[in-house]
Amino acid sequence: MKKSATLVVAGLLAVTFPIWAGDQYQLHLAALIAVFWVLIGGLNLVVGYTGQLSIGHVGLLAVSAYTFSILAGTQGLHPAIATAAAGALCGLFGLLLGLPSLRLPGFYFAMATMAVALIVGEFIMANDGLTGGGIGLAAPTFPTPFDSPAGFYYLVLALAALVTWLTWNVARRMWGRGLVAIRDQPVTAQAVGVPVFRAKLKVFVFSGVTAGVAGAVFASLQSYITPDTFVFELSLFFFVCIIIGGRGSIVGPLIGTVILTALPELVAPLAKLGNFFYGLLLLAVVLLVPEGIGRVFEVISERLRPRHIASVPVSPDLPRLARALGARR
Amino acid sequence: MWSVLVSGLATGALFAATALVYNVMFSTSKVLSITTGHLAMLGGVFGAFFITGLGLPWIVGLVGAVAVGAAFGWLTDVLAIRRVLARSDEHLWLLSTLALATMVQQAVGLWWGTEPRPFPRLIPQDFSAGITDQKFWLPIGVAIVMALGLELFYRRTMYGKLFLAMSEDAFAARARGVPTDRIRSLSYVIAGAMGALAGFAAGQLTFAYFALGLTLTLNGFIALAVGGLGSNLGALIGGAALGLLNAYSSYFVGGEFQQTISVGLLMLVLLLKPEGLLGSRSTRPV
Amino acid sequence: MKVRAPALLAGIIVGATLSLIGSAAVAQPIKVGWLSSLTGPLSSAALAENEGVQLAVEEINAAGGILGRKIELLTRDTAGDPTKAVNFAQQLAFSDKVHFVIGPVNSGEGLATTPILARAGIPNMVIGSIDQLTDPKKYPRAFRVINTNMQWISSANDYALKALKRAKVAVIGDTTGYGTSSAKTAQELLEKVGVKPVYSVLIDPNKTDLSDEMSKAKAAGADVVMPWSAATGLQARLLNARGDMGWDVPVVGHPALMASQIRALLNKPEYWENTFAAGYVSTTYDAAGKLPPRTQELVDKMRPRLGGKAELDILFWWVAMGYDCVRIIEHAVKAAGSTDPAAVQKALEDTSRYEGIYATYSWGPEQRNGFPDNNMAVNIANTFKDGSFKLAPR
Repeated sequence: MKKSATLVVAGLLAVTFPIWAGDQYQLHLAALIAVFWVLIGGLNLVVGYTGQLSIGHVGLLAVSAYTFSILAGTQGLHPAIATAAAGALCGLFGLLLGLPSLRLPGFYFAMATMAVALIVGEFIMANDGLTGGGIGLAAPTFPTPFDSPAGFYYLVLALAALVTWLTWNVARRMWGRGLVAIRDQPVTAQAVGVPVFRAKLKVFVFSGVTAGVAGAVFASLQSYITPDTFVFELSLFFFVCIIIGGRGSIVGPLIGTVILTALPELVAPLAKLGNFFYGLLLLAVVLLVPEGIGRVFEVISERLRPRHIASVPVSPDLPRLARALGARR
Repeated sequence: MWSVLVSGLATGALFAATALVYNVMFSTSKVLSITTGHLAMLGGVFGAFFITGLGLPWIVGLVGAVAVGAAFGWLTDVLAIRRVLARSDEHLWLLSTLALATMVQQAVGLWWGTEPRPFPRLIPQDFSAGITDQKFWLPIGVAIVMALGLELFYRRTMYGKLFLAMSEDAFAARARGVPTDRIRSLSYVIAGAMGALAGFAAGQLTFAYFALGLTLTLNGFIALAVGGLGSNLGALIGGAALGLLNAYSSYFVGGEFQQTISVGLLMLVLLLKPEGLLGSRSTRPV
Repeated sequence: MKVRAPALLAGIIVGATLSLIGSAAVAQPIKVGWLSSLTGPLSSAALAENEGVQLAVEEINAAGGILGRKIELLTRDTAGDPTKAVNFAQQLAFSDKVHFVIGPVNSGEGLATTPILARAGIPNMVIGSIDQLTDPKKYPRAFRVINTNMQWISSANDYALKALKRAKVAVIGDTTGYGTSSAKTAQELLEKVGVKPVYSVLIDPNKTDLSDEMSKAKAAGADVVMPWSAATGLQARLLNARGDMGWDVPVVGHPALMASQIRALLNKPEYWENTFAAGYVSTTYDAAGKLPPRTQELVDKMRPRLGGKAELDILFWWVAMGYDCVRIIEHAVKAAGSTDPAAVQKALEDTSRYEGIYATYSWGPEQRNGFPDNNMAVNIANTFKDGSFKLAPR
């Protein structure tokens, strides 16, 4: 009851944000958070629920950002069609990447995904006729009413809400439990009939599609994309948001995304020491609250309002038991 | 043509040494640390600092660099591994080692500068030596010596046998009275020393550059995966294969597709023989 | 009398209020945003430019500011990340509401931030060299202070072809965004004058040994090697390879060839001979060994601030350029009489031959690249002294 109330309040705050936001910069930051969440929400199923160490999603982001910019910009297609095409292409990419890699054990899969991200980077640079090479491409804005900052914010907010709703549905139903089973005890999961490989592949493709959509709106938000934007550190950033938020939760990674995107802006005055403190914060969170921030909220809410587990005293009906035992003899 | 071969083997030797470091860390903790590449970076940077910056003789610089590497290895264990392993959560170590790697890279970048700085000549040798130049043969020699040293260590010394015991079954080792925490610390210290030594030997090749860590972590991992996790000979072979492939591909095709080709090698091996060339298929009884 | 007193009183009150408002406006600082990559790639350039910017701001504020308003400098470290640069550009434009933005230093970041600042209508001093960063139609308030990449490449090509009289060029680039596009531009400019490169290759900036590429260039018959890379490691290895193989081909290219870090990375100091790089008149010693007087003045002012060392060890044109950016802002505001963006734009468009330290700038309604061709020079790479160089012989 309380949880849904907080969700409703948070939702209202998000929807009315353009009204009480300070300025366009904060609106831009909020839109960036929403765009990242579209990708991270899908990735959450892969990393947080299924436990796959996927650290190459920046490659998918890059593919879809360039696809969007080429289709909607150079080729002149409608941005909505370009977004759908980018999503579909990245889903296909996810399928092609997942088929050989998902059978590999944890660290190997991580390195394979990281390596693919690097390949995408090289490919972008090498085909400068198509992608503009080092110069990059301009990305078009969406047509009205989405071309104003507030309009675009509502567009990405709607997409983020859609992704949240989809992943929440998956998480709380049997699928979600199957994924968690794969993460924690893959052998047992297989023994009880969870289709391990197919489930992993399906969520991976889904995360590819969300990455595709995220890349398209990301390009539009940045209005100009260059290969320097899609560095490996961004992939680690996505991964970190999920782990810090807490695996096995939807709200946790969402909070993680909000905090980690806003954080560099807050420590902006630190200038040179910024990245160092980012690493330090990461280490601190991993050592002190390894279950993630989601868990911290759970612990706090337990403290504030402990769940009353009604204790039902067991009083056996002794005479009846005696009769039954007597009858047995 | 020979120069391509020799330079490929030299960079391959650095990758192989990194793979050996991975092996040592993995054997006692089942963790593949992202800080592995940064150990070589520290070796190169501190070697240059001690010899050129402080003017010490190169032996002292070597000992100093190795000591720094060993200290960082120990720090990795204390900060990033110990508490995380105790919680039996598989993937947190990826995050904690990543955090530590970021911190050390940024700290070194702030102190040493972000431009590559020179690594001194260790043995007096003329620069027109071509393929016999020490910058090629030092890393190759060190990698081979390290692999031989590790084999001797595992077979002949008690501590080596303890490492092997821990890598086979840590619980059984603990039940037999092996102080697993301390052995693991020791293995990280040794791994740190090895990594720094490799970085020191390859310093003339790579220059003392703060951002070496992450690419070396990836390439060292590719060497490890190709050669097989847990096998030292495999690490040498994997490193050599990767180094040669890089060198020949950039000779014939140019530098644009370096990563693609190295990763292509990784994917190919993983598809055909996932446990690597000399690795053993690990099946777990259920 | 009775009617006038209240009017007089009202007039005094209105006048006092207006002058109070006026003085409050006058006391409003001029906010200048400075997008710098103090960590990350090109940090040495950014740090040096930062020195120049800080000095200029301090000098102007000590003299009472511009039109009585002090400059407030807001520095943001973008660390070479375009996403951060975009965020900070947005922050400076909309949250801090700056009047001017200097930077960013990296062209990659500049490509992302210039459209945003253009949309916000904020005048932007561009210090990235990639040609696409300025456009009078798309980015009307972006005025470039640094030379363009084309100017670097053209002056180097001109020296190699006309002064050294070479015809067989080997073009070398690195695999970064800047390297690939510069190598491509270099090839195009050469082919336009009828010279087809005999060898061209892109090299990973961290490749440890370049002897293979140099052997191939030699085998292709190259008589001049032109590298276009900002990576000092790569340039040093290239010179090492040339020296180790005993090939006395001249190397003419990117200013990174002159960077002081190269000296330490070379196997032998002689390897730096026969190397030339695109440079500037403002940081070139004349035949008598003297710098242009304005440059010398700034060097003397900067020396105590840079550690008081007897010899500076950074490229001085970076410092001069940072200094000029702030002075240009001062010039624009004074000429426009206010910080109104449209007035500033007009003032800068009307600027002709504004004498800075780094160059004498001229912009125009259709010209956003203020660095004139005749301020380019070609320097001998190993004549670094105190941040400046000797002129290459013709």
